[in-house]
Amino acid sequence: MSRALEDVVVLDLTQQFCASLSAAFLADFGARVIRLDVPPARLASDGKWNHEADLIHRNKESLALDPSGERGRALLHELVAKADVILTDWQRDELAALGIDYAGASALRPDIVFGRISGFGPVGADADLPAIDELAAARTGMMPILQQPGQPPIYTGAGAMHATVMLAFGVVTALMHRQVSGEGQAVDVSLFGANMYGAALDIQAFLAIGEGERFLNPISRLDVSNPMSGSLYPSADGRWVTLTMPDTDRWWPVFSAAVGIAVDDPRFDTHDKRTETHRLELIRELEQAFQKQPGSHWRTVFQEKQMSADVIEQFDYPANDPQVLANRYILELDHPSFGKIKSLGFPIFMSDSPARLERLAPCVGQHGPQVLHELLGYPEQTIHQLRAGGVVA
Amino acid sequence: MAKALEGIRVIDLTVWFQGPVSAQYLADFGAEVIKVERPQGGDQGRGVRSIKSLPVGDWNQYFLVINRNKKSIAIDLKTEAGREILYRMVAKSDVFLSNLAPEMLESWGLSYEKLSSINPQIVYATNTGYGRFGGASKPAFDMTVQALTGAMARLGEPSEPPVYLGMGSGDAYGGVMSALGIVLALYQRRRTGRGQYLDASLYGAQLFLAAPWLQSFLGGHRDAALQHSRKRAENPLWNLYPSAGKWIFLCEPNEDERFTALCRALDAPSLHADPRFASAALRAQHNEALIEVIEAHTLKRDHAALMGAFVSESVVASPVNNLADVVRDEQAWQNKYFMKAYCEEVQREVEVRGLPVTLSKTPGEINSLGPQLGQDTELLLMDLLGYEWDEIEALKSARAIP
Repeated sequence: MSRALEDVVVLDLTQQFCASLSAAFLADFGARVIRLDVPPARLASDGKWNHEADLIHRNKESLALDPSGERGRALLHELVAKADVILTDWQRDELAALGIDYAGASALRPDIVFGRISGFGPVGADADLPAIDELAAARTGMMPILQQPGQPPIYTGAGAMHATVMLAFGVVTALMHRQVSGEGQAVDVSLFGANMYGAALDIQAFLAIGEGERFLNPISRLDVSNPMSGSLYPSADGRWVTLTMPDTDRWWPVFSAAVGIAVDDPRFDTHDKRTETHRLELIRELEQAFQKQPGSHWRTVFQEKQMSADVIEQFDYPANDPQVLANRYILELDHPSFGKIKSLGFPIFMSDSPARLERLAPCVGQHGPQVLHELLGYPEQTIHQLRAGGVVA
Repeated sequence: MAKALEGIRVIDLTVWFQGPVSAQYLADFGAEVIKVERPQGGDQGRGVRSIKSLPVGDWNQYFLVINRNKKSIAIDLKTEAGREILYRMVAKSDVFLSNLAPEMLESWGLSYEKLSSINPQIVYATNTGYGRFGGASKPAFDMTVQALTGAMARLGEPSEPPVYLGMGSGDAYGGVMSALGIVLALYQRRRTGRGQYLDASLYGAQLFLAAPWLQSFLGGHRDAALQHSRKRAENPLWNLYPSAGKWIFLCEPNEDERFTALCRALDAPSLHADPRFASAALRAQHNEALIEVIEAHTLKRDHAALMGAFVSESVVASPVNNLADVVRDEQAWQNKYFMKAYCEEVQREVEVRGLPVTLSKTPGEINSLGPQLGQDTELLLMDLLGYEWDEIEALKSARAIP
C-alpha cells in the first residue's frame, strides 16, 4: 500500500516536544524520519516506560552523531544533501555554527524544505528570542482572561501543540510546491504565531472591536454572556457541566423541561430575556438546577435530548472511551518491555494510506549503520572507522 | 509570486468555524476554494452579531476572516437539480471538504461512495465531531467536545472551576489538523493518481491540545489529570509571579547560577545564600517557601521595572500581556500574524489575523475577505461548469439556485 510521504526523507534536529511530534506526524504517514541524536545524549528512562519518547519519536530512525569535529560536520552535510526536509527547533546561531541554517542547508541541497519552529517568527527585533512556549503564550493576550476573576493567569500549553500541526502543514504544503516547481524553501512557524491562532476568536474580535473590558479581564462564570452557551455549572457530585446552545430559542423548550423551569416562565420566554434582561437571573436558576442531580444524570439527559452539552471529564475519560479507541486516537499496545500500555494515537484518519505505528522510539543510534549505508552508500569498513573515531555512536 | 497550492480546486461545504478555517489555510496558499452555501442565509457563521455580549460592529469578523480568499456559490442541495450542480463541481475539483454530519451528507447524496464514483481522484475530507467510527451521535461544539478530552479539568488552581482554552481554540486546532490531512492526501495523489477519504474530528484533534499531559497520564502519572497550584510549582524559577502591575512569567531552569542572577535582579542579593535555597534540590524541596519569598519581591515593583532588572541580568521572563498589548505588538505585525485587508462590506481597510505559517518563496496572501452569499454563483455555473443561460434560468425556477 502506498504511503502519503513514502518518497520523503526528513532529518529531525529537534529538542522540544512540539517540534519532535511534528516530525513524528510526518513519519506516521510514511516519511523516512531520521532523528539526529547529538550530544548531550537523551536521558535513559531508569527502567520505566518512556511514554514521551514513544509518542514524539515513534516511527523514526536514530543516528547518533557528534558534529563538533570536522569529520562529524562533513557527515552532517552529506546527510543534509540527501534530505528532502529538515525539521528543527534550534536557534539560528546554533544552526549557522554547523553550516546548516537555511542558507547553508540549501547550498548543500538546493530544493530542501527547511521547517523550523521559532519563538517569535523569522523577522523583527524578537526573532531570536528563545523558543519557549510560556514566553510566547505570555505575549498572546489570552493568559489574563481564561481564569475566574481573582485567580492567577492560565498557561494552557495548547499553543505549542498548534505549532506542531502548523509546521507539518507548512512543510507538506511546501512539498506540494516542490512537486510542481522543483523549488525548496524555508518554512517558519513560531510559538508566538501559533498561540495567537490558537486563541482565534478573542484576538480577532479585539482587533476589530478595539475595546471592551470583557476582552481584557476574566469573566466570572456567573456573569457569562449567554447562560446557555460557554457556561459552566457544578452538578450534585461536584462534576461540572458545560452548555453550548447559542441559539436559545431553538433549545429552550427541551432545555427548560430538562432543568425544571416552566417553558413559558415570563422571565425567560424570549432569547433577549434569557441573554440580556434576565441573564443573571437565569444563571442563578441554572446554578441551582444543575446542583440537584449528579453529572451522570445530566449526561443521560443531554444524550437523550441530543442537546449540545456535556460533563467535564478528566483524562481517564478519553483513556477509556470506546469512541476514542475505535478511532485510534489512543492506541492499546503490547510494549515489548512494559506489556499492555496505552499511548496517544493518530488524530487524522485516511482511508487509503492510514497512519501506522511501525515502531516505537528508537534507541539512541539504533539505525546509524543502516542510515549510513542506505542513504550515503558507506561501506562497512568506513562505518566501523566512524564509530571507532567517536563520530557516530 | 508563485502559490504553493495553485491549481487545486476545493469544494468547501462547511459552516461555523472548524471547517471554514481548514479551507482558509488552503485558500491562503493559493487553492481555489469555492464555498457552497444554502441560499437562505448561507453559512450560519454569517449570522454572528455579538461576541462576549459585545456587538461585532459594522463588519462580521467571525465570518469574513476565516472565509477569506474564497468564492461563494449558493445551491439548495435538497433539490435534485442542486445536487446535479454539485456533482458537476465534483467532477472538476480536487477536494471536497465538509463539516456537516456524515448522515446529512449521505441523505443528500454526497457520500464518499457517490462522489468518488463521479471523480475517483477526489480527496474527500470530513470534520466530524467524534470520528468516523464508534457510533457516537450527538451534537459537537468546540467546548462540549473539549470538555471530554480532560484538557479543561487540569487547568486552574485546585478546587477552582475547569478552564476553557479560549473561544474557538479546539475548532482552530481541528481546522489545521484537517488542512494537514488534505495536503497529505493531495501530495500522495500527485504520485499515485488515487483519491481517498479522510477525517479530522474535533475530538481527535482536541485530544492533542494537551498531548504532553495526556500522554503522561497514559504513562501512569495520574496527577497529570489534576489541577496544580502555582504556589507549589516544582521549579520556583519557572513560574508565574504577580507584580504591582501585570503578572510575569519567569522561565529559568533551577540552576545555581540562574538563581543567583534572579536574586540580583530582585534586588535580594543575599537570598541565594539562604540555606533553604542553596542548591537545586533544596529549592525544589522548599519550593513553597521560595515561591512566597520571590513573590514578596516581585510585588514590590511593577512589571516594567522588574522586566528592566531581568533584562539587565539576562533573566528570561515575559510580562503577561493582555489583548490590548497584543494588537500593538510590532513583532506580530512584522511577521504578518496581523495584517490589514480591504473589507468590501464597510469599504475600508480592517485589521485581521494574518498568516501563522510562513513560507519563504510561496508566502500566503489575503486577496479578499469572505465572499457575499452566492456572489459567484452564475459565473461559476457558466465558466466552470458549462451551463447555458437558459439552463441557469431553469435552475432558478426549480429553486436549485436563488
